[in-house]
Amino acid sequence: MANSLKRILIGKPLASADEQHQRLSKKIALPVFSSDAISSTAYATEEILHVFLIAGVGAAAYTKLVPISIMVVVLLAVVVVSYRQTIFAYPSGGGSYVVSRENLGEIPSLVAGSSLLTDYILTVAVSVAGGVAAIVAAFPSLAPNRVELCVGFIVLMTLANLRGLKESGALFAPPTYIYVLSLVTLIVVGLYRVYVQHLGPIAHTGKPAEELAGLKSIGLFLFLKAFASGAVALSGVEAVSNGVPAFKKPESKNASTTLIWMAVILGSCFFGLSLVAKHLQPVPGYGGTVLAQLAEQIYGGRNALFFITQFATFAVLILAANTSYADYPRLSSIIAKDGYLPRQFSNRGDRLVFSNGIIFLAVAAIALIVGFKGKIDALIPLYAVGVFTGFTLSQTGMCVHHVKIKEPGWKRNLVINAVGALTTGLVAAIVITTKFLSGAWISVLVIVLLSAAFKSISRHYVRVRESVSVNPGYKVQRHQHLVVVLVGSMNKGVLHALQYAKSLAPDRLIAVSVVSDPEEERHFREQWDLFDIPIDLQTISSPYRDLTGSILRYIDELDRESADEMITVVIPEFVTKFTSQWLHNQSALAIKAKLLYRPNTVVTSVPIIVD
Amino acid sequence: MMGLRDLANRLKAKPEELDAERLHDRFGGMDLTPIDQLECRTPSRVGGEVKRIRVAPRKGIPALEMVLTDGTADVVAVFTGRRHIAGIEHGRAVIIEGIAREERGRKVMLNPAYTLISS
Repeated sequence: MANSLKRILIGKPLASADEQHQRLSKKIALPVFSSDAISSTAYATEEILHVFLIAGVGAAAYTKLVPISIMVVVLLAVVVVSYRQTIFAYPSGGGSYVVSRENLGEIPSLVAGSSLLTDYILTVAVSVAGGVAAIVAAFPSLAPNRVELCVGFIVLMTLANLRGLKESGALFAPPTYIYVLSLVTLIVVGLYRVYVQHLGPIAHTGKPAEELAGLKSIGLFLFLKAFASGAVALSGVEAVSNGVPAFKKPESKNASTTLIWMAVILGSCFFGLSLVAKHLQPVPGYGGTVLAQLAEQIYGGRNALFFITQFATFAVLILAANTSYADYPRLSSIIAKDGYLPRQFSNRGDRLVFSNGIIFLAVAAIALIVGFKGKIDALIPLYAVGVFTGFTLSQTGMCVHHVKIKEPGWKRNLVINAVGALTTGLVAAIVITTKFLSGAWISVLVIVLLSAAFKSISRHYVRVRESVSVNPGYKVQRHQHLVVVLVGSMNKGVLHALQYAKSLAPDRLIAVSVVSDPEEERHFREQWDLFDIPIDLQTISSPYRDLTGSILRYIDELDRESADEMITVVIPEFVTKFTSQWLHNQSALAIKAKLLYRPNTVVTSVPIIVD
Repeated sequence: MMGLRDLANRLKAKPEELDAERLHDRFGGMDLTPIDQLECRTPSRVGGEVKRIRVAPRKGIPALEMVLTDGTADVVAVFTGRRHIAGIEHGRAVIIEGIAREERGRKVMLNPAYTLISS
């Protein structure tokens, strides 16, 4: 039953040999890996305005929109140029984690890893929240169900991804292109109407109009805070360099080209939107998103073009969340392979995807959405911390890489990455200082805790590995073998278990039963004669009816008799249907649980299948 | 009167400790050697409740093996040539008299004289 449900939802299992085919061409890889970055144009402008207007600066906010956009675009250029180097230096996938691990050592790599993992979770939460915001802007009646919609979309996306990478790429590719097209149309038509037809600002009434009436001046701190919000547009740029191995051959070249395409699209769209917003003066926070308000003003009302823009925005943001679904499991599998996360994260599921990582990501994102009630502006301050910590560590790692390898032209490359590291480091510092109280502290805390967790998981794995490693010439000691068969009452199961125990050919074989009165012992004696069982049965009385304790004490007693015995405890168990299984073997379960931690003890169940 | 500390100890006691206490009360006043002070190769008289009985296979060498406990320790009594002795059953108080020896870390009396005590 559970299996068929899984088959319907997830699809038929793929063989390991099919892995090669799960690679992406550039046209598919662009939407899969860069939709995250490109989609942030849907909310980045809005978040800049949000910071200003909340502070009460009024219409002065619009004067700083274009300068901030230019700063973000410059930052984008610096980061992309730096990341091209990473792609060529690490064709097997060089996220911040891998680069810092190779060059900076353990602790920085763990910080990078945990930054990225938190970041991916936030990408899902922020993007889905943004996508739902676009839908709500188009259909305001859906506003009360914001959180439910978000959770629903995350679940759908999780299922799509459990089916496999390539299929989800093909399924989600068109929306990015439609979004880019609709965004470019919006910007071109917008600029035409502003500069040629002299379209004026949006006419606001009520609350939004009051917000524009504010008259505070913009200080440096506020300016930087707004810049930090705008910088979230860069989140997701690292996705391409993480996913190099998923590209078709030649991986590095294709990935690098894709990265450049993405940067050009992202930079020009973000700048264009900010320019249009400067003239049309949308006010975020009152139902409609900034993008929706711009579309309504530019297209002259809620017409088909408006709805296309909204749907495309929604679709691309969902696809952006999907980027994390491609990257999070991949990264967690790399980290798990290095022994910093439970091994299960590196297991591929039926469809050759890292199922456990996908499921964990979905659960964490849903928790965030529910916790922050699906509001983007509450999530944004958490977001940029991880992004820029990751960038900084990755670029610093690349600097060390150049100094170590000294490849041809390394000095030029070193300068590029050093500039990258300094710039992103500065932005990380700005993000943390300006946003600390409004939520960045949560991310900082999670990153620190996660790094500590990685470290302790790794310590555990290392300790286990050391204690089970063998030196050449290691000889296993020969033990005496004592087999104890637990007998509850006389039945077919017990006879089978006794027969099985005999076949183990132990040095000593004992059957044990706990009896509550002399009558029971007499009954066993008769049965033993009746079936002619050639094994000693020890009947133990238990004045306090303590079954588990009596048996364990007896096993301890037997153990004391000789020093180096292996004890096998054989338990007959009834196996029935799933629905009635809980009626059986409860005491066997308790005994098994207690014996699990006993040294030199093996517990064996002899199943008796009852239909 | 029972103090608070006694009460606390009683609440913490495991079943086997409670049992040891009960057995102590039962056999303490009978002028017997406590089993944990039983010495080998000396004639002694010990008593306790039957805690374990071996059920031997029909075709094996006939011998009845039982374990007595008086709350201080256990002693094994083996009666050769018999597969069953009427009255020796779980929970029955028995006094045995004989010479003990050590076997695999436990005290064993071979064919002791035994007295069944009615409960």
